[in-house]
Amino acid sequence: MKGNDRRPDPLSPGDSPVLADPEADVGDGEGRLVLDQAFDSGTLYALRAAVQAHAIQAGLPESRTDDLVIAVHELAANAVRHGGGAGRLRMWERDGALHCQVNDGGSSAAGTQAGPGGNMADRWPFLQGHGLWLVRLVADQISVFSGPGGTRATIVFSVGKDPSVSAPD
Amino acid sequence: MPVSAYTQVTELSADAHACLTFGQRDDLLDLTAAFVRDGLASGFRVVVLSDSPQLATAKLGWREIAAEEAVAAGQMVMVASQDGLVGPQGFSAEQAMSWLRDQLADSRRHGYAGMRVALDMSWALRPMTGIEELPVLEEEIAAAVSGAGMSVLCGYDRERFDPVTLALIAPFHSHTVAAATYYDDPVLRICRQYVPPGIRLAGEMDFMAAEALALALGEAIRIDGDITINMANLSFIDASSIRMVTDAAASLDPSRTVILRCRPAIEARFTQLGADRLPQVSLVGVDEG
Repeated sequence: MKGNDRRPDPLSPGDSPVLADPEADVGDGEGRLVLDQAFDSGTLYALRAAVQAHAIQAGLPESRTDDLVIAVHELAANAVRHGGGAGRLRMWERDGALHCQVNDGGSSAAGTQAGPGGNMADRWPFLQGHGLWLVRLVADQISVFSGPGGTRATIVFSVGKDPSVSAPD
Repeated sequence: MPVSAYTQVTELSADAHACLTFGQRDDLLDLTAAFVRDGLASGFRVVVLSDSPQLATAKLGWREIAAEEAVAAGQMVMVASQDGLVGPQGFSAEQAMSWLRDQLADSRRHGYAGMRVALDMSWALRPMTGIEELPVLEEEIAAAVSGAGMSVLCGYDRERFDPVTLALIAPFHSHTVAAATYYDDPVLRICRQYVPPGIRLAGEMDFMAAEALALALGEAIRIDGDITINMANLSFIDASSIRMVTDAAASLDPSRTVILRCRPAIEARFTQLGADRLPQVSLVGVDEG
């Protein structure tokens, strides 16, 4: 698989639902976006490789990079399996931490048109599964937002400055 | 069963001339180990030719082949390529066959009922005079094994030998041997491991290959005794795959052991997900394959 070989991005037309979300973390001017990559079931490997490269570049210690890679993978795997079959990862640096946001696209128009008061929180079985349990275990912070635009999970990893985090080799 | 036109290494006859084509050295070592193990168990003399007998002895060692003891007892001979098939003046089919006949004569003189010879053919990748006679050697081996109580396993790296050479030597072999493979793409390989019995995962394992992993595990747990899941060359495994491995282990009788051989980072992942609390699981850390 080629890392730069982007597949057609299902989210691309203009303002994606996630970007339109008022609570979106990206684009508030304080963070530096380091990675913005669409993924689907066939590109999870490329996603992991990109996350690993950028995490190392950002100074995350090796063991924490492994943790970040699996955390992003598990969130992306959920988007692929239980969301719209594809999604998007954004990764940015802010205040000595790496933030990774995975959204499942809220891809199809039908999917986002839940009835009035429709609860989208069941788009992913978020509290189930070992994968998300593992994400909670390894991430320094995690937040989840489900809305008409789909489900969006954000995890935060401190970059080695927190003494509780293992020091770089 | 994985679909395969190949003969299982465990089913070779006593006068087979088998061609083992491998893509990874792990396959060569594993299939050679099975060939050696079965030969020793049958009471045959076993000759293993490789570029480094010392390394080969060590690699057979972790595969539970007591090579040093067998060598000391005279049942096994570990020989370097340059002391066997290749002479000081380069290669000649005649000289190589003379070495092989000497081995067979020696084996008979010591009363062995049969002989197994495992040849790592990597030496033939080096530039040397006479190498064009390689097909002649293979043809003569084919003639020599017939009715001689001798079987020969020739290991060729299919990534490094050119297709023309492989096509030339292949027809002289009575069998083609390869590892049973459940999944194989540039990112992941899942195949059977013969010695010790189990499966081997290499690359990056995630839920996209869940079906292949389920099939491999299903076949592995059907055999008796302990099972090894060799993940020494696995650099990533996701939670659902870990869950599948631990579920397979948990389904076994607690008297059986599933040995998970993995790098520290993977071992930590299994521990995080509670695999170490299963009585059937034994986590064994390795630095690399």
